[in-house]
Amino acid sequence: MPNKSGSVYGLTIPSPIIEDEKATPSHDLQIRDYLAKLSTREDSPFAQAPGTHLARLVVMDDVIYVGMPACEEHLQSKYLVFESNCDGDLDGYLRGLVDTIPDHLDAIWKHCVGYPGAANRQAFIDYMKACQLDTTFYFAAVNDKSVSETLRALQTQTDVADFIATHQGADAATLQREFLQFVALLKSQPPPRPGSMGPHRDIKTGGRNE
Amino acid sequence: MSNINGKVYAMNAITPMKPWKTWILRGFFFLLGHIKPLQKDLIDLSFIEFARWVVLPRKGFPFLGNSQVKEDLKYDYLLFFSNFNGTWNQYIDAFSAVLSKGLNLVWRWSEKFPGSVPVTSFKEYIARVQFDTDYYFTAYPHATANDIKSAHIVQSSLDQLSLVAEQCSPQQFADAYLRFVLQVQSHLGETGEAPIAG
Repeated sequence: MPNKSGSVYGLTIPSPIIEDEKATPSHDLQIRDYLAKLSTREDSPFAQAPGTHLARLVVMDDVIYVGMPACEEHLQSKYLVFESNCDGDLDGYLRGLVDTIPDHLDAIWKHCVGYPGAANRQAFIDYMKACQLDTTFYFAAVNDKSVSETLRALQTQTDVADFIATHQGADAATLQREFLQFVALLKSQPPPRPGSMGPHRDIKTGGRNE
Repeated sequence: MSNINGKVYAMNAITPMKPWKTWILRGFFFLLGHIKPLQKDLIDLSFIEFARWVVLPRKGFPFLGNSQVKEDLKYDYLLFFSNFNGTWNQYIDAFSAVLSKGLNLVWRWSEKFPGSVPVTSFKEYIARVQFDTDYYFTAYPHATANDIKSAHIVQSSLDQLSLVAEQCSPQQFADAYLRFVLQVQSHLGETGEAPIAG
């Protein structure tokens, strides 16, 4: 199925945004305002909910006119596009979102047409599926590891480098004893929290020339 | 707008296609999905974490009734979402240099696509059809696609060594440990902050 690559699921959900001339600011601006203030680090809603590798939310204002001789046309609605690369099956992922971050979901999607609210879990899942688009071709560089497996591996990579550096020239018995302690310690630690290992970076715009 | 999080850049693009052409594109993607050697260049571009193309038929936009006005479009649309490491210019340059034939097969069905070579007109086209991300989350902002692949190699090698570590004599362990170090030494690059492009 093109929505999946190995054990990773590619989710694409455009939801039509409410058009209301009386709303001030407009619903799309209210979404943008909320998203601009939302953390992208370990306290991000997507870090709290399980199974998100990478996700984005985009307000798509219109389709793009590429110039003559193409026809110029416009959308009737703006769309909130939710794009996620997540673990496991779709129902499980959506359940994880609705159970963990219902307030954020409501704050974002309440501006979309027909959104039933997160209080009714099944209605939320049905709504998301009604808006979902099937992926035509999906590529994942690593498609057989979960988020927690990847976070654990990244932590292991750092710790192994430190272990090797600090045990150069150690005698065989010491090396073996301390290696076993090292592995036991690694296994006893929970994986790092999603979004927690990155440096702070103020510049996030990523313009065309960056 | 927030196209960047840590070492990852989120790109979104949308291009119009005449509806009859989308079937050719779907056929190409079907072949690409089922004949793995065709994906080699995409895999070799090891700075892409996830990428997807979605053909959105002109009548396929979600319609939920209520107050929503139904879309009335002449074109189907090709949506492209990519999560890559590095800068926009590096990405487009590499795409154009390494994947030009593949890119042409994907986008030649889109209106006004100039071809992926020369790169100047290709960049102009991508800049025109790109739209910005409002919110971007990654679970591992400090890591590139190559860091992730390397980390899993280290984890797998460590798991194998730890399976035998307890049963070995110290000398046998020291030999196995040396082999482990040789195995992982090229996968221990430090992750951290990405350089800021000047």
